Amino acid sequence: MSENPFKIIRPTDQPPESLRKDVMSSVKFVMLMMRFVQLFVADLGMSMFDKVRHISSDGQPSANSGKDRSGPDL
Amino acid sequence: MFSKRSKNKDDALNDEELVSALQKHMDTERFGVLYDRYTTKVYQKCLGMTRDKDLAKDLTHDIFLKAFMNLSKFDHRSKFGTWLYSITYNYCLDTLRKGQRTRSEEIDERIEDGVIDDQAYEAKLLGLRADRLDLVIAQLDPSDRALLLMKYQEDLSVKEIMEVMALQESAVKMRILRARERALRLYVQLYPEEP
Repeated sequence: MSENPFKIIRPTDQPPESLRKDVMSSVKFVMLMMRFVQLFVADLGMSMFDKVRHISSDGQPSANSGKDRSGPDL
Repeated sequence: MFSKRSKNKDDALNDEELVSALQKHMDTERFGVLYDRYTTKVYQKCLGMTRDKDLAKDLTHDIFLKAFMNLSKFDHRSKFGTWLYSITYNYCLDTLRKGQRTRSEEIDERIEDGVIDDQAYEAKLLGLRADRLDLVIAQLDPSDRALLLMKYQEDLSVKEIMEVMALQESAVKMRILRARERALRLYVQLYPEEP
């Protein structure tokens, strides 16, 4: 039986040497960006939610609203 | 020193173990091990699809970057190689389809017309001269090309093609059949003197 022609036309070229360096540089850059975004977003979220207070319809803070760091009113 | 020892340790891990380790802690050196294992395969698949070395290089770069960014989504239900093949296949197709007119599924009515001698088509396709087949494959629609390469060049099973294309078994079989038909029809157009 003759050889499968699809196997004969299969490319045998090797990827260029420079490709590894390019991919790894991009991966490092993406990782750096991901860490930066993670850090920035996490901090932003913390600072935003720290300021959030749930206000009920009568204009008073509800019982389960965000933490009040200022302590009880004296 | 530490880096070299760590790399040797990573080399001993199989793909799924490496991916699990990467999912816990992203590490470029470790990802490099996966890159080294698959770069030739991915590049050659891209080259087979695009027939353009520069484009294949760019696509390979982007595919590994995509794989890295989506590694956390890999759920270990399939082999890593199949998952990477799926990214490769879809990215190559998307790129090739850009700017290309979408083909209508004009073949449907022919399927209904009569009984298709599927085995005879396959035998005829596999009996073509390699240089002529190469020309036919180069001119085929990218999705037909990808499918025929998966089936006859990579020897992927129907189940693996189902995973790569995210299709049901019947749909995969029908698409293979249609791709074979289109390839043979194109062959007759290119070489009308042949029986």
